Amino acid sequence: MRELALVGVIALAFGLGSYHATRELTAFAVLNLAAGTLAFAAAAGLALRRLRFAAGSHSRRVLLRGLLGVAGALALALALERAAAWSGLRGDLTFERSFELAPATRKALAELPGELTATLYHDRFDPRARNTRLLLASLAEAGRVKVRERQLSDSPEALDRFGIAGSNTVVLELGSRFETVDRPLEATLYEALYRLRSRSNGVIGVLRGEGEGDVSSEAELGFSGLAAALATEGYQVRSLVTASLAEIPADVDAVLLLGPRRALLPESVAMLEGYLERGGRLLALLEPGAQSGIEALLDGWGIQAPDGVIVDPASGASGDGALGIDPIAYNYESHPLSRGLNPDRMTFFAGARPLVLHNAGPADSVRRVVLASPHSWVTQDLSVLSRRRGALMPDGAAQDYHTIAAAGRYPRAAGDARIVVIGDSDFASNRYLRSLYNLDLAMNAVHWVVERESEITLRPKLRTPKQFPLPIQNTLRTFHGVGLLVPELLLLGGGLVWLRRRQA
Amino acid sequence: MTGAAARTEPGGAVQHGRGVAVEAHGLTRRFGPQVALDALTLRIAPGESFALLGANGAGKTTFIRLVTGYLLPSAGSVTVDGVSPALRPSEVHARLGFVMETSRLYPELRVRGFLRFMGGARGLGGAALTRAVDAALARFHLEPVAPRLIGNLSKGFQQRVSLAQAFLTDPPLVIVDEPTGGLDPVQRGEVQALLSSLRGEHTLLLCTHDLDEARMLATRVGVLNAGRLVAEGEASEVLGREDALALFGTVAVPAR
Amino acid sequence: MTALRALVRKELASLFGAPTAYLALSMVALVTALIFFDHLRLYNQILFVYDSATMGGFASDTVPDYVNLWDSVFFPVMETLGLTLIGVVPLVTMRVFAEERARGTDELLFTTRLTPGQIVLAKFAAAYLFVTLMMAVSFLYPATAIEQGGLGLEHLAAVFLGLTLHGIGLASIGLLCSAFTSSQLVAAVSAWAVAFLLWDLSWASGFVGDRIAALLEALSIQPRYSSFAGGVVSLANVIYFAGIALVSLAAARFSFDLRRVSG
Repeated sequence: MRELALVGVIALAFGLGSYHATRELTAFAVLNLAAGTLAFAAAAGLALRRLRFAAGSHSRRVLLRGLLGVAGALALALALERAAAWSGLRGDLTFERSFELAPATRKALAELPGELTATLYHDRFDPRARNTRLLLASLAEAGRVKVRERQLSDSPEALDRFGIAGSNTVVLELGSRFETVDRPLEATLYEALYRLRSRSNGVIGVLRGEGEGDVSSEAELGFSGLAAALATEGYQVRSLVTASLAEIPADVDAVLLLGPRRALLPESVAMLEGYLERGGRLLALLEPGAQSGIEALLDGWGIQAPDGVIVDPASGASGDGALGIDPIAYNYESHPLSRGLNPDRMTFFAGARPLVLHNAGPADSVRRVVLASPHSWVTQDLSVLSRRRGALMPDGAAQDYHTIAAAGRYPRAAGDARIVVIGDSDFASNRYLRSLYNLDLAMNAVHWVVERESEITLRPKLRTPKQFPLPIQNTLRTFHGVGLLVPELLLLGGGLVWLRRRQA
Repeated sequence: MTGAAARTEPGGAVQHGRGVAVEAHGLTRRFGPQVALDALTLRIAPGESFALLGANGAGKTTFIRLVTGYLLPSAGSVTVDGVSPALRPSEVHARLGFVMETSRLYPELRVRGFLRFMGGARGLGGAALTRAVDAALARFHLEPVAPRLIGNLSKGFQQRVSLAQAFLTDPPLVIVDEPTGGLDPVQRGEVQALLSSLRGEHTLLLCTHDLDEARMLATRVGVLNAGRLVAEGEASEVLGREDALALFGTVAVPAR
Repeated sequence: MTALRALVRKELASLFGAPTAYLALSMVALVTALIFFDHLRLYNQILFVYDSATMGGFASDTVPDYVNLWDSVFFPVMETLGLTLIGVVPLVTMRVFAEERARGTDELLFTTRLTPGQIVLAKFAAAYLFVTLMMAVSFLYPATAIEQGGLGLEHLAAVFLGLTLHGIGLASIGLLCSAFTSSQLVAAVSAWAVAFLLWDLSWASGFVGDRIAALLEALSIQPRYSSFAGGVVSLANVIYFAGIALVSLAAARFSFDLRRVSG
């Protein structure tokens, strides 16, 4: 019986090993598998025969009870595992909580009009597929998403159809529409979901003509990223050349002013004033040291924007050592626009202009939204920005929560006007839009201004798992002091035990 | 059935002692087609010292294993104090002390540690365990070797350790399997003297192929031959027969 | 409970009374330290290359996504350790039951107040304690390194949990194989065979349907174990390993019944 079992094990091992190595059922593999199975069956038969002879009535009862115990344990294990899988209960212990979906992603999944199919195309041994698999599993648990995997080598038609350029690519299919994501992180999948939803949230008119930020520019200080984010979240972006406009077109849901380098012409300012009086919506990103021409207009609506630079020592030094002139804000007033932002979710501004609020009309509501730290103060010395050097706080300077962003709502006969002013435009440029929670602030400001407050959310981050290196010097010390010392002590311990036993 | 029971010493005097009864009815055990024990019927009275004799392979160890419940019978039954070891082995083990061959110990444990483990495994704990271990060490003269590894002891001492663990809980039934196998004459004498001193206090089931040992330690004997009980009775009667050796079948050499 | 505790103590005393336990602990700790350090040093070198090539690699987001601490260091370490444990753990568990049967001390143990269920439970518990200690000792170095880097220990805790559960699963398989034989060699070899087979059952997906392929994937150890490396602790995966332990326990308990019947 044992000889047969031994033959069975060896034959099966070689049969399976042969298939595993070549992925083909050769004659060698088939013969070994057949021989191994037969040998095992014969050994099992002999064992049963031996049992039959030996077994009395007690034996049958004992065996049956034992087998039921094993079957019961197996059934219990399977049931518990399936129940746990169905419950989807799990903990994300990653540093960035990479596998906990952002509210925006959950919302996007919930609003899908049908079942989404997410297919991961990858090379067999691509290690990146591991994380992507986990991410897709998170999506599947959160919504009506069917997840599949295909190897690139098995899917030549799909490569052509979806334009797949490399391994670890996810294709999202919704009905006949699809989106190909070649860098599958939650942020990029989220944007693809939004594109698939193809919801239209309105038209944003971006003013041009006075050196404003360029939404078609992909340069570091361009705003193509902002335009793409607007498109993702359902907005059509339209350039409005102020000089050629008599009035803001009626189908524009909000006007975006991106840090003009020159002051708007009085006619343009008047056009804006008229637009706002008719219940218009304005999102103005200003720049310290540049007169936008709408300062007086904004003052009339309760938001003063004196020229100056907020210096916030609590923000620490920027990359070039200039202390506090690029504020990192972590104080937010309670406002729909800042929903979800808290001291752990900071926003970064590359040189910010202060805002001062005052009452406009009796029914008007003008409120601070984003504040610098209480240690911040304002300098009129605009050269700190160009010199990239920190400023000394003059005697008598007021340290306070200086306002970086403000929002106002103004009931008018023709409808509510809404204005959001932010004292920096660079925070939304290509260079900084994806830093910290800048994208969320920018997009939520747009959603609030066009009164689509249900779209205000926190978006998944583009951050990838920790890339900061561990200092190699510390690592060496730890390697010797712990990594090698512990095994050495264990071996010594074992040796001493062995010697003691010989003498005992 | 635990309690006072009459037994007859070799000299004929009847003494009362403790112990439990062991009864087998038609006890059969097969291994595949081979019959190791064939319809054995036997009764060991409480307090009795019973030696089961037979050549190697006669079925002695199989019988012991059926009594302890380590094996299940193919047919028939066996009870210890009315309890079936097949159905309720734990209850039988609570009444049982088992002395195995010397090789069946834990050589990596120290003597005291092993006794503490066996005492704990038999349900003793705390002060009771310490007392029982100390008493066993004293009774079997193991104090000098208490801190030593079992594997480093002589066979004689190892057998004393084996005896000591069996008596930790002072069980009513003691099964001793080949107690002097592999021992030299001096060691054999020591172990036999120890076993002799225990007579009358427990039911003793002794398995051996040493006729002299059986005469010395048992009041009644049974002889197994190829799984069958071919003789049973008072030790002096069965072993005093002229054809006593023939009872054992082809191999039956009294160990000296 | 007294008897159970006595057997657990005795099992641990037997384990740690033998130099092989220390050898196994030392070996796993050393392998962990060496491969972790090796990958960490390589990771630092790659980052340095990117940093100097792009002059400000982190800030300008030009370091590839997959060059990060988890993918470059933790995943490879965990993959290697996963296979190392398959090699080492059966060597520790092979003697637990098989040696008792070979020596005959299982019979002595059987005649105590310990039921077969308690014997199995005690031996499994002692083996699990040993495996957990093995992983704890092996993680001293990675934990210290990560903590020094100021990166938080939560993700590492998930990796540790995954490896420990994997070790417990392997110990269960090893103990189960040991319970059915009196030969330590057979116990070790059969444990290796079962563990390697279970490690990745996807090889069979080539000639079964999608549903059975999905079932085989669900039964495989490797995908379950890898998710811990990603920092995700899923209840289903924890129960998977607990299930291996439960079924192995029940089957090892059954081996006693089988032996009582077959001899």
